Amino acid sequence: MEPVIELKGITKQFPAVLANDHIDMSIRKKEVFAIVGENGAGKTTLMNIIYGLYQPDSGKILIRGKETRINGPHQAIAEGIGMVHQHFMLVPVLTVAENIVLGIEPTKAGLVMDMDRARKEVAEFSQKYGMPIDPDARVEYLPVGMQQRVEIIKALFRGAEILILDEPTAVLTPLEREGLFLTINALIEQGKTVIFISHKLNEVMAIADRIAVLRGGRVMGVVDSKETSEAQLARMMVGRDVVLDIAKNPQKLGELVLEVQDLRAKNERGLDAVKGISFHLRRGEILGIAGVEGNGQTELIRVLTGMAKAESGKVLVNRKEMTGATVKSLRRAGIAHIPQDRLRTGLILPFNISENIVLGMHAEPPFARGIVQQRAEVNRFAKEKEDEFDVRPRDITVKAKSLSGGNQQKVIIAREVSSGPEVMIAAQPTRGLDIGATEFVHRKLLEERDKGKAVLLQSLELEEILSLSDRVMVMYGGEIVGCFETKTTNEDELAHYMLGLKRQEHVKA
Amino acid sequence: MFQQILIAALFSMLQFGTPILIAGLGGVISENSGVVNLALEGIMRMGGFFAVVGAYYTGNPWLGLALGIGMGAVMGLLAAWVTVSWRGDQVVYGVAVNVFALGGMTYLLQLFFNTTGHSPPVSSFSSGVVISPTFAQGLLVFLVVGLTYAVVSWSMARMKRSNAKKTLILTAVIGLPLGIAFSFFAPAREVVFGAFNKQTIFVYFALILPFLLHFLLYQTKWGLRIRAVGENPKAADTLGINIYVIRYACVILSYVFGAIAGASMSIGQLDIFDNHMPAGKGFIALAAMIFGKWKPLGTLAAVLFFTLAGVAGDLIQGLSTTYPVLASIPRGWLNAFPYMLTLLALAGFVGRAVPPAADGIPYEKGEK
Ligand SMILES: Nc1ncnc2c1ncn2[C@@H]1O[C@H](COP(=O)(O)OP(=O)(O)OP(=O)(O)O)[C@@H](O)[C@H]1O
Ligand SMILES: [Mg+2]
Repeated sequence: MEPVIELKGITKQFPAVLANDHIDMSIRKKEVFAIVGENGAGKTTLMNIIYGLYQPDSGKILIRGKETRINGPHQAIAEGIGMVHQHFMLVPVLTVAENIVLGIEPTKAGLVMDMDRARKEVAEFSQKYGMPIDPDARVEYLPVGMQQRVEIIKALFRGAEILILDEPTAVLTPLEREGLFLTINALIEQGKTVIFISHKLNEVMAIADRIAVLRGGRVMGVVDSKETSEAQLARMMVGRDVVLDIAKNPQKLGELVLEVQDLRAKNERGLDAVKGISFHLRRGEILGIAGVEGNGQTELIRVLTGMAKAESGKVLVNRKEMTGATVKSLRRAGIAHIPQDRLRTGLILPFNISENIVLGMHAEPPFARGIVQQRAEVNRFAKEKEDEFDVRPRDITVKAKSLSGGNQQKVIIAREVSSGPEVMIAAQPTRGLDIGATEFVHRKLLEERDKGKAVLLQSLELEEILSLSDRVMVMYGGEIVGCFETKTTNEDELAHYMLGLKRQEHVKA
Repeated sequence: MFQQILIAALFSMLQFGTPILIAGLGGVISENSGVVNLALEGIMRMGGFFAVVGAYYTGNPWLGLALGIGMGAVMGLLAAWVTVSWRGDQVVYGVAVNVFALGGMTYLLQLFFNTTGHSPPVSSFSSGVVISPTFAQGLLVFLVVGLTYAVVSWSMARMKRSNAKKTLILTAVIGLPLGIAFSFFAPAREVVFGAFNKQTIFVYFALILPFLLHFLLYQTKWGLRIRAVGENPKAADTLGINIYVIRYACVILSYVFGAIAGASMSIGQLDIFDNHMPAGKGFIALAAMIFGKWKPLGTLAAVLFFTLAGVAGDLIQGLSTTYPVLASIPRGWLNAFPYMLTLLALAGFVGRAVPPAADGIPYEKGEK
């Protein structure tokens, strides 16, 4: 098969890092070409270069054998390249149809939008590719899986022959992921080419024809998926053997720290989301919350961390009632929070690493004396944490917004762990993280447990929950429909509860 | 008697509202593309002054207006250069323009006309447009249809059923018969005739502009792009839309509207530039824009509301000869009325006012 895209010596230097270092790569027509690599390895940067969002410092891009300078997205689009970005590029207040036709609007008399035609074309188009969608729905009200569908249709609608998917599965539920894989296969059938980026090696092995491994901005190798294994890929990515299964120490269960009684809460749209939840959490324990996205987990965590108010019910921390307490007093009481949306609630993007690392502790000694910030102390602390948590680049003055996703997460975890919590509430703490970083986060959470802290772990990944938690509770429709000792359950059983096919008579959580 | 008072009230309402509406719509266009324009007050002052200068030296109000608009365009270009290309702070820049306009025009008034009070009279539009009763009849139909359109499209949006074609059909079915019926109702015709006779061309401009802008923003591809850039510029960028072109165009247009608003006071209502101009109207325009939720027809409604409150005072004073009780209300209270209503309204009667998501945030290409 002839190559559709060839990269020759692509190099991109950012102020603090060499993101791409003489990258050579060639992608063939009608293949699924996967790119794996640690957080910050330079995958997104490389894709942004192909899509014309960044200009390489040196190197050449050949498209269908012809050397091409891609000055901007409009040119990439003209060359038949489409990209679904790691963080979606949608206008939330516009409708599906408006988002899709934006920039190539069908018009009457050259200026007036022909919305009827747009609607019709979008509907037909989405049918054709087996991704039905309501063209009139406002994008902000769509679930993530649907938003991704809009992104894919948007690219195909512009005649994309080469589709770049940057970590498309990080935000999907297992079911949505199956749907995406079907779509990818259908696209290949129709002669398109797909570049697929993911941290989940099992996914890559399942869907890709060939896999390129990036490390530190360099290509470590390109392998055929039939001739490799997850372990080999992991070794190439990280440069050492990765322990995919971590051993858990025997549990030392302590006293009760968090107790929730008949909690009820509404979601942001005012609908009942948490419908009478009770559970308790003891020291030295990791309690997992399993469930399909949108079953009240987010709202439960928002209430527990003080970011939303409960309608009724009680929350007790260390046997003291803290229902409706502010974020600040909850933090004082020892609740730490690794939020699921790191960009919006986890970090202040325009602030640098050191500022983000002391956030929440910034007003107390030793980081402040009276109202004066102790810069030297903040910097010393930040440097220490950067080393301990392996944040890259090792430069505390880099702004949070220019960190790769995984390193943003490390900054948050460094902050939350070092605030010395009693209860760590972690919502999807490894979403978008590479295997090395995932392993690291898992080790940190287990360390907290072994230190006698309590951990509440919410995740959409059953594997993650099963390998870390001591107990698992399943949320469905805003309720806890089952609670299990991890040792005595398995993925299959949990899945039945997650889909609402089964529920326990009397849940004791 | 009552008719006379009503005509007088409407007449001054149109006068009072015209500059606010034009300037407010200038704010709407700029902020929908994601650039905050706080400079409206200052730019009205500059536009108003240069319109007088132009009219003074050429003896032609049209050329005066052209100079005012030219000044607005140049200032808009400068603003776009500073805040879009160089990503200067939009709020600080707006405040700077206001301060500059305040001192700068006082200085230029001295320089050109050797006074600190007001310029000598120049040839202007202030004599207004004399209209015929038939024209008033047509105008009445236009007004009723326009208001119907605004109400229909607002309620459709409320019910999340926005649809251009249905809105037009409904407007035609409801508004047209209503407007024609009204136009055969003599008192209504007389009121419209009285309120509009000898109004300036600016009043007509201000009446058409919200609908034009509504059309631009919600029916054309440029409007879709403007709104996309104001909400999520990065997304627009990845689709090959040139954010800089759109923001430049919107900012320049915004400043031009501001300048026209200023001219509508200096060579519209009056024939001089007074050193007090525009006396806070630029800020009321901003309030109207927010009150109108950054939408053209919303801003129209807000301005109607403000001006109604503004002329309520005149109306009450006019009526106080017939109803002596009204005379006991202190004049100051009546003057403060529109502003108090504004505060109350903004404090929660209109619901949360949500600006475009990227409003005020400079866009940097190649940034994460
Ligand atoms: N706009 C930018 N300015 C400065 N540095 C940047 C910028 N974008 C990326 N970087 C840096 O370049 C490196 C590569 O980042 P990139 O986003 O390409 O990584 P990635 O492989 O996509 O990682 P992840 O899996 O976390 O998404 C990182 O170290 C990052 O901090
Ligand atoms: Mg990335």
